[in-house]
Amino acid sequence: MSLLFEAMKESVLLGEEEEAKKLALEALAEGLNVEEVMEKGFLKGIRQAGDLYEEGEYFLPELVCSADAMKEALAILDSALKERKVEKGTEKKVMMVTVNGDVHDIGKTIVGAMLTANGMNLIDLGADIPNEEVVEAVLREKPDVLGLSALLTSTMEEQGKIIKMLEERNLRDKVKVIVGGAPVTESWAKTIGADGYADSAVTAVNLVRDLFN
Amino acid sequence: MNTILRVLSEEELSQIHKESVRILEEVGVRVPSEKALSLLEKEGAEVLWDEKIVKFPQALIEKTLKQSPKSFTLGARCEDHNVLLPGLSSSINLDGMGTRVIDFNTGERRGSLLSDIENAARVFERMKAGTVLWPPLVAHDVPQGAAGFLGAATCYINSGKHIQDEVKKVSEVYYVKETVKAILGGEEKLKERMLYSATYCTVAPLSHDLEMLEATMALTKMNSPILMYPMPASGSTGPAGLFNNVAVANAEVLSCVAIFQTVTPNTPLIYGAAVGSIDRSTGRFLEGAPETALQLTCMNQMGKYYGFPTIVAGCLTDAADMGFQAALEKLMNTLPLVLTGCDVVQGAGFLESSMTMTLEQILMDGEILELSNRFAKGVTNFKDEDMFEEIKKVGPGGHFLKQKSTRELFRSDEYYTPNLMNRDTYDTWVKLGSPTMISNARETVSKILSEGIVCPLPAQTEKVIRDIMEEAKAKL
Repeated sequence: MSLLFEAMKESVLLGEEEEAKKLALEALAEGLNVEEVMEKGFLKGIRQAGDLYEEGEYFLPELVCSADAMKEALAILDSALKERKVEKGTEKKVMMVTVNGDVHDIGKTIVGAMLTANGMNLIDLGADIPNEEVVEAVLREKPDVLGLSALLTSTMEEQGKIIKMLEERNLRDKVKVIVGGAPVTESWAKTIGADGYADSAVTAVNLVRDLFN
Repeated sequence: MNTILRVLSEEELSQIHKESVRILEEVGVRVPSEKALSLLEKEGAEVLWDEKIVKFPQALIEKTLKQSPKSFTLGARCEDHNVLLPGLSSSINLDGMGTRVIDFNTGERRGSLLSDIENAARVFERMKAGTVLWPPLVAHDVPQGAAGFLGAATCYINSGKHIQDEVKKVSEVYYVKETVKAILGGEEKLKERMLYSATYCTVAPLSHDLEMLEATMALTKMNSPILMYPMPASGSTGPAGLFNNVAVANAEVLSCVAIFQTVTPNTPLIYGAAVGSIDRSTGRFLEGAPETALQLTCMNQMGKYYGFPTIVAGCLTDAADMGFQAALEKLMNTLPLVLTGCDVVQGAGFLESSMTMTLEQILMDGEILELSNRFAKGVTNFKDEDMFEEIKKVGPGGHFLKQKSTRELFRSDEYYTPNLMNRDTYDTWVKLGSPTMISNARETVSKILSEGIVCPLPAQTEKVIRDIMEEAKAKL
């Protein structure tokens, strides 16, 4: 059994999505204890990947691959985890989106990978998502933190608009909103009433952690 | 595909050669050594004995150029640090003969001490780009006649890398030889291992110094490679035309080739130069000027034109402090040398026209060299077919972070990893305490100095060398 857990850990650590998926399916088919599967297998892999990144041993590509392998495993194990109420690392949810009119996906993807690698439960809505859809998703998924990414000065306005819409729907006090992207600054975040701003993917992780606490 | 630079065309290179030969044939060079004059006369040179001027016939120049070995290995005490010349990429050397330092602990500018050479050798030892170690300073706290040798001996004790120095009088050669013999455990491999090479400076314009020449001639008998190092400054000790000053400098080098190959045939020779220009108001020798950078690059091209390994002055600045001007000038005269295939760029660690050394600058200059090497390596068409498949797979709008080649190439030398630079965003940088390249270098220097010598000598050998140093102090 320990060999199987080791393989799960390795699949995430090495960013092997197909392998992670296969092992997660195997775990379900054999009726393994999902808590153990997470703790001794997949979570161990993603934590180790995070550590290697911190130490400068892993670069971004390795981390993104590990995060995606983790996502594959989580998608398979999702219902079983919900049934057993097993933590996916944390109960807290972070929702990430690149705002309306902005197709620049990469920054948000990197931050998402970094959050996943740090054991956070990530919902990635994608890029160029209409504001209304974002608000609907907040209503539906009830994330603890909503991350709004914008690369253009013309689209950063959307970050403010979404915050306003959340206020109008009485959702604003139910979710912390963080903003980021090349043109975004600390003072912009304050102007639009966001709860936080990070200037890099690494600082975003710390920011989210602080907001959780 | 390497990045290539040329200042001189093939035609201009051959023009400079012709000009230099004309200078050597018609003007001649002052060679004050009777021993050298006799030997050169036997080889067909015209010697004007009263003035000690030699007019070198073209045949002698061509013959001795052919005779010079074009590839050899500068031996290092720790063989891992052996330096094959010519090398596959450029490396760096400290400058020599500085007289001042900025004290690492107090920041005070003061005269250089033997302990400064010790510290510099230890920092250089850990610098990846550093291969050939020239004792960078003249120590003021030892008898001045012995200062040169004591610097070299100190470098042997504190570094396993190849040591290059200069001998100013014949009596120094004995101490150099005894030191190398102590390291090698005898004379047997002295000639083969080549643990010591010497910089030999001509006296511009077109002259040689008697004592230094005869001392260096004596060194060739132990097969020490000689770095031929002319220094005419355009407009003062050389003609103001940069092209013509290069021709004079090159003529001086060719006179060295003829002399050393005549004295000791097959002596390994390295083509070098520290040519410069001057401040047109004060007359100060300028190392950081663009005219200096151009001439040095020309000289490097001349060395390569003849097929010699090259060690050329570079990474130089006239700035008084470790700031923007220093970085700008150093990069401007390092990159062109690297792009013209210079084997060793000589000048790291110094400010103020190679007079003042700082330990931090040694490491920062290593970074300049490594950056230049990366640029020189150029762009590679990496597995273009596979890359096309990846471009197709990702398609419009995706990202390449997860592609196999991204992971592979991020781990290869396709991407340069800086040693001392900071690439964080402002907020993160502030949180880190706003580090600068200088503060990062200081941190690394502190760490190096707190650690031991990487490749220490056996205690008995060190004792023998220290005894030789004591003898030199008393007798030189």
